[in-house]
Amino acid sequence: MTPKERVKALLNKQPVDTMPIFSGMGTVTVQAIEKLNYRFAKVHTDAAMMANAAIETAEIFDFDGIVVPFDMCTIPEALGRGVSLYEDAEGLLYPTVPTKWASMEEVDLPDSFDGIFSQGRMPVVDEALKLCLNHDGGKLGIGGWVLGPFTMAGQVMELDVLLKGAAKDKERVGAFLGRMTDLVIAVAKHYEELGVDFINIREMGTGTDLLSPRMWKNLIKPNMEKVFAAVDIPIINHICGSTDLIIEMMNDCGADGVSVDQKNNVVQSREKLGPDALILGNFDPYGTLVQMEASEVEGVIKKCIDDGVDAVWPGCDIWPDVKKENVEAYVAAVRKHGGKPSPAVGRL
Amino acid sequence: MADEQRRQELLKELHEGVVEYEDDRVKQAAQDVLDEGLNAYDAIMNGLAAGMEEVGELYDQQEYFVPELLMCADSLYIGLGILKPHIRPEDIGASAKGQVVIGTVQGDVHDIGKNIIKMMFEVGGFTVYDLGRDVPLEKFVEEQLKTDSEIVALSAMMTTTMMGMQKVIEMIKEKNPKVQIMLGGAPVTSDVADLFGADGYAESAGNAVQEAVKMISNLRKLQNQ
Repeated sequence: MTPKERVKALLNKQPVDTMPIFSGMGTVTVQAIEKLNYRFAKVHTDAAMMANAAIETAEIFDFDGIVVPFDMCTIPEALGRGVSLYEDAEGLLYPTVPTKWASMEEVDLPDSFDGIFSQGRMPVVDEALKLCLNHDGGKLGIGGWVLGPFTMAGQVMELDVLLKGAAKDKERVGAFLGRMTDLVIAVAKHYEELGVDFINIREMGTGTDLLSPRMWKNLIKPNMEKVFAAVDIPIINHICGSTDLIIEMMNDCGADGVSVDQKNNVVQSREKLGPDALILGNFDPYGTLVQMEASEVEGVIKKCIDDGVDAVWPGCDIWPDVKKENVEAYVAAVRKHGGKPSPAVGRL
Repeated sequence: MADEQRRQELLKELHEGVVEYEDDRVKQAAQDVLDEGLNAYDAIMNGLAAGMEEVGELYDQQEYFVPELLMCADSLYIGLGILKPHIRPEDIGASAKGQVVIGTVQGDVHDIGKNIIKMMFEVGGFTVYDLGRDVPLEKFVEEQLKTDSEIVALSAMMTTTMMGMQKVIEMIKEKNPKVQIMLGGAPVTSDVADLFGADGYAESAGNAVQEAVKMISNLRKLQNQ
């Protein structure tokens, strides 16, 4: 199988030759950026640099799939919230949103989201996705990703206002989240039309570290169901942080699979969801690829597989300044232990 | 005796007002404390802070989540705003803990945990220098030197911004090894705090409250002894 075929088959729960190595979160590394002689701050604004940084990472480490962009600000920027790129800062810094709406009264969304794809860096992302899709005859699995409605809302509005409003100002916050849902659907459909192989919806600000299961059920789930119903290609429901209390609801939203981080007890999640659910996860990317000794990595990856994931995904973006030998150990461990069928995906 | 009974009533009002995030109830009780000539510092520590201690427990028991924490913190802040100007120097003298520089590191615009910790430091009688969020690393070093603060509290919510904290710690410890460094934020673990050379850590807004509450509880115990 080609890497793309492997990724697509797995996400459709069809048999694969071996477990693909990819993620729905950023997997760009300094090894690729340095080899290309780029600066990290520059890869977010240039389509060729963005695509090359992702592709080169996959080439160096033998990944099956990649995603772009790398930062979470492209859509808030297109909505006029600006972007801080930190081009003069030392070291690696991801872009941030500098001017969020400070109250519900300040929210100023367009009637239609059709126009956002020509704003800010949205055209750069489109071009980067096309470059990735066309690379080497389209051999890599290409993912698009969008923040979930609540997390997107927290990128354009001050999070404390949103969180308190979710409890105290339910009607207006509910309406605002409805518009965010329309926005997420518009972007996901746009990436689908560009030809990506899968979409990852990252509703990462809604784990039970932040919201109660009851609030998740009432405020998050209905919107996520709309997003998953609107997209026809494989689509994943990713939440990092605490998810044990909401894993069944996550799986019941209509996504093709769920992705969780290291806080999830995958053994229990597998028991709750059964063998047919596609579960992706769940190693700590910073702890495993930056902090650990390379010799310890295989054990972490093997445990993910033994616990019952169908593909080993990091719990979040990979911190770009990884140890090369640790990523190599991660890839080797998936190749070594991912040959046998996983609960939801058989082997050829 | 009547005074003590009234004191207990008002402390309960403040405590429950914070736990139930009833802003008006806290406002009224704080005003009653002042109008009836009761001790403002006692009301802060044994009413407001005690209420927040219960909030920390409710968060720990997964009965409260971050929206509730924020609303409770708002109620506490309302009470603090009324009572704090009336603290007598002799009350706070014994338990004032000095000065804190606090901020969210460059590249991170999440400041919920930072704001809660800031408030709890204020409750504890610290002088707080809040640098805000997305703060350039050298600014922490400059502010610590300028204010001669004993504690620098750094927050990062994302793994991708956490690395900046290590540099700040190195820079501060190089200039003044005695400064205590507290780290906070979702990606921060005890291993990370150790690796970075920090003196303490809190992993989330709720955990930050609990850590701060422990500090305040110790202060209350000392005061009540």
